[in-house]
Amino acid sequence: MLMRERLRYLIAIIFVFFAILVSRLWQLQVVRGEEYFRQTRRNVVDTRMLPSVRGKILDRNLEPIADNRPAFNLYGKAGDIDEEAFERIARVLELTADERDKMQARIEKAHKRKRRSAVLLLEDQSRDRASLVKQESHLLPELYVSDEPYRYYPHGRALAHLVGYMNQITGSEFDEREAEGYQPTDLVGRYGLERAWESYLRGKRGIERFVVNAKGERIEGPDADGLIEGARFVPPVAGHNVVLTIDLALQEHIEKLLRRRAAGAVAVIEVKSGRILALASTPSFDPNVMTGHLTREREAQMLSDPRKPFIDKTLRQYYPPGSTYKFVTGLAALKESLVSADEPLSCTGVHKQGRRVFRCTSAHQKVDFEEAMQHSCNVYFWKLSERVGIDSMAQIARDFGFGEPTGLGLNGDTAGRVPTKQWYEERDTFKIGHTLNAATGQGDVEVSVLQLAMAYAAIANGRKLFVPLLVDRVESAAGDVVVQYEPQLRRLVDVSDESMGFVKHGMWRVVNEIGGTAYDYARSDMLEYSGKTGTAQVKAMRRRDDDENLKDWHPDRDHAWFAGYAPSQNPEIAFVVLLEHGGSGGKHAGPVGKAIVEFFFEGRVPSTETEGELP
Amino acid sequence: MRRKAATLLIPGPRVGRSRWRTAFADFDWVLLFLVAMIAALGLLNLYSATYATAHSVKFTQQMMWVTLGTLSYFIFTMIDYRSLQRWTWVAHIGVIIGILAVRFFFEAVKGSQRWIMLGPIRIQPTELAKLAVILSLARLLHDWDERSVDKRTVAYSIAALILPVLLVAWQPDLGSASLLGLIILAMSLMLVQTIWPIIVAMLTGLAALPLLWERMHSYQQGRVLAFLDPGADPTGAAWQTSQSVKAIGSGQISGKGFMEATQNHFNFLPEHWTDFPFSVWAEEWGFLGSVGLLMIFLLLILWIVNVGLHAKGKFGQAICVGVAAMIFFHTVVNILMVTGWAPVVGVPLPLISYGGSSVLTIMTGLGLVSSVSKRRREI
Repeated sequence: MLMRERLRYLIAIIFVFFAILVSRLWQLQVVRGEEYFRQTRRNVVDTRMLPSVRGKILDRNLEPIADNRPAFNLYGKAGDIDEEAFERIARVLELTADERDKMQARIEKAHKRKRRSAVLLLEDQSRDRASLVKQESHLLPELYVSDEPYRYYPHGRALAHLVGYMNQITGSEFDEREAEGYQPTDLVGRYGLERAWESYLRGKRGIERFVVNAKGERIEGPDADGLIEGARFVPPVAGHNVVLTIDLALQEHIEKLLRRRAAGAVAVIEVKSGRILALASTPSFDPNVMTGHLTREREAQMLSDPRKPFIDKTLRQYYPPGSTYKFVTGLAALKESLVSADEPLSCTGVHKQGRRVFRCTSAHQKVDFEEAMQHSCNVYFWKLSERVGIDSMAQIARDFGFGEPTGLGLNGDTAGRVPTKQWYEERDTFKIGHTLNAATGQGDVEVSVLQLAMAYAAIANGRKLFVPLLVDRVESAAGDVVVQYEPQLRRLVDVSDESMGFVKHGMWRVVNEIGGTAYDYARSDMLEYSGKTGTAQVKAMRRRDDDENLKDWHPDRDHAWFAGYAPSQNPEIAFVVLLEHGGSGGKHAGPVGKAIVEFFFEGRVPSTETEGELP
Repeated sequence: MRRKAATLLIPGPRVGRSRWRTAFADFDWVLLFLVAMIAALGLLNLYSATYATAHSVKFTQQMMWVTLGTLSYFIFTMIDYRSLQRWTWVAHIGVIIGILAVRFFFEAVKGSQRWIMLGPIRIQPTELAKLAVILSLARLLHDWDERSVDKRTVAYSIAALILPVLLVAWQPDLGSASLLGLIILAMSLMLVQTIWPIIVAMLTGLAALPLLWERMHSYQQGRVLAFLDPGADPTGAAWQTSQSVKAIGSGQISGKGFMEATQNHFNFLPEHWTDFPFSVWAEEWGFLGSVGLLMIFLLLILWIVNVGLHAKGKFGQAICVGVAAMIFFHTVVNILMVTGWAPVVGVPLPLISYGGSSVLTIMTGLGLVSSVSKRRREI
């Protein structure tokens, strides 16, 4: 029979095909099974991050500086929004060009990374737009509005540089930190404390896991729940609050004083602990605008401002300290016993050094140490510097913390410069003129406002140089202290109490005796305090034409300094005022210093308890 | 009248037995057992595939179709298959008319016309065409053997056999057309004395493939292209296949368990009740379950071949080879398709896929085999 003859071929073909099927199933289910199993789990279980409430930043009296307020955020999945949908959304919501660009960039960023989970598209939308999205949900099925806490800075520009602001995480940052639970379009602390303390402030996101079908629709019910590994709902944990040492009232008063000046910086330090009471830099920025509302136009305008509003002038920028630095020269000479405090040196108003002529502010005739401080006689300190040499001065300067970071660890707090003989020789040749320049805080000496303030605090408290302290403690949202930061002594400056006494008395005379450089402008009827003015010459700078629209900005003028501490007896605070290109130290910076001191002690009785010797 | 009916249904000399026992004399219980197994597993799988979805009514519908199919199975078991010889060409012409009717009088679904709509019932004549072709070819082979047939009749007959294949391809229903072709090919290769003309015809057909490509609908071309390059379009045509492959693979060795197929329950597998029920089965029962199901199919096919070997006369042999080929090719193509080794051409898995026409056709075909088996001892 024909069929029987051909049977073996038939059977062979049947078995070959079934063998193919079985081996294919073996390949898919046994060899690659685990990988496919994981893929199907990923297919159906979606997670949604629940935002945590960001911790507050508070001043020492628990007044919020950075807080949260409710806001409407717009979310969508990058995978859902194609070109057509994007145009439709832009049309219905009437997006501005800036908003369009922002949304476009975010969708692109998320598309590469998490196209199937919802990401923040536009933050902090108006109530009108939020309700528009809800009403027109048939036109905008890709979007949803989430009512979430949003960063808010109730005092606006106050303390802007220190507190910082937040903005979008960049693509590479996200790739690096995804494991910490960030989403591709999250806001992160970008500057200042917001950046440096991000990990404490941020809190922990909650997670909600749920099952979705192929369309991304949510599926409920026990069937679906069985697929979820781990908890379905992990509630978010609010971030920690950061309590600062800042006195917000003082800070705001200082900012008000500075606002009338083109550019400048102020630091106020608690002398017995190194705690920062105020730290202001002007011009500054509004962190509420920076956090999600910065337009390109505004950004370009700020970046082209010659006063550099983004630079923290208390920490990041370095200036020649001028005469406020003379105590270094004086202490170096006293320490080496190269001068006695009562030895008068004569000032004819000029000091010749080789072919160069160095000019003093006037001819002071015979002046001793304290008188030289009082009148800020350059010739006296030039003569001292010729005796001690640049390296001994640098030694004292370093002792006071110049030339190295203060240890605050924020906003690029770097070293500044204390030049030595070696430093000059490495670059060119050392000349005695360099020493003379350094004696009066000119030339290549560069200090930051905070460095100078810490040094003046050390003068005031009897040689104790502290690490500046900005954060007092970290508290949980419930108010439990998580970390408490104690004052930290950096070193005891190696000078005698006697020498320090001359410096302090000199500084007392600057403010409180007729002829003192600050006497006419800064003497207070309220209390006696001490200080030193400085007028730092700047290398010839010309006003740029486009600066003309900036009122009171004269880049050719000197920097005006006024540094000191109050009260003279048993000091509590040290302060530094810098007006960038502000003119004369006494005349321009002096009144600001006085206003700060008077504001601080207004209605407050300076402690009468004596400590240490009288000036 | 009664006597006539009795001789029609129960031929042969077994006098003195009760009518019931006579009806089940030589009944092929093995075949019934295998068929019942597959049908039951198919229903079980469909229940899981459509449970608590908008398509759960399909389970009830399928129950009805399986019941109808079973009825048909028994009816055709009782009818002497040989008495069908005279009806084969009538059935054949009826099917051709049905295909033409579909082409000209009914709405297209997804770009091709396949259904005759009679109120709520939709009949796919292409499915019935498979049976008609098997029967007609069997008749032709039988005639060829039994009496001398002139060449002209053979030529007409061959043309008549090829016609439904072309018409189905024209619908266009690529899957069914190639299946019809494969069934004809298998039957011819097994039962025609000289097979070289068939091989020549096959090669000519292969050469005509580019022409066929031209005639194909864009969605069909898309499917073929997606099959050739699955990475190109992950959410389009290849989406089904890649999701199906994931579903099958994710079943691993022992499966996720009955009703636990996530791919299926959350609609990652479109149309899983028609073309992709095996993915659901494989996801829920794993490698062991899949191979188990395949083994039942294998046993069924081998058993039908065995029935064919013992059949008296070419007509019965041809029916068995045809039905075996039909089930074999449906199974192989469908599983290759859902595992991503064949393009998605819409070939159902016998008795597992949802679909009335398919169930009815397969059950009727198996009923014919059962009839052949029952009459294996008769002269």
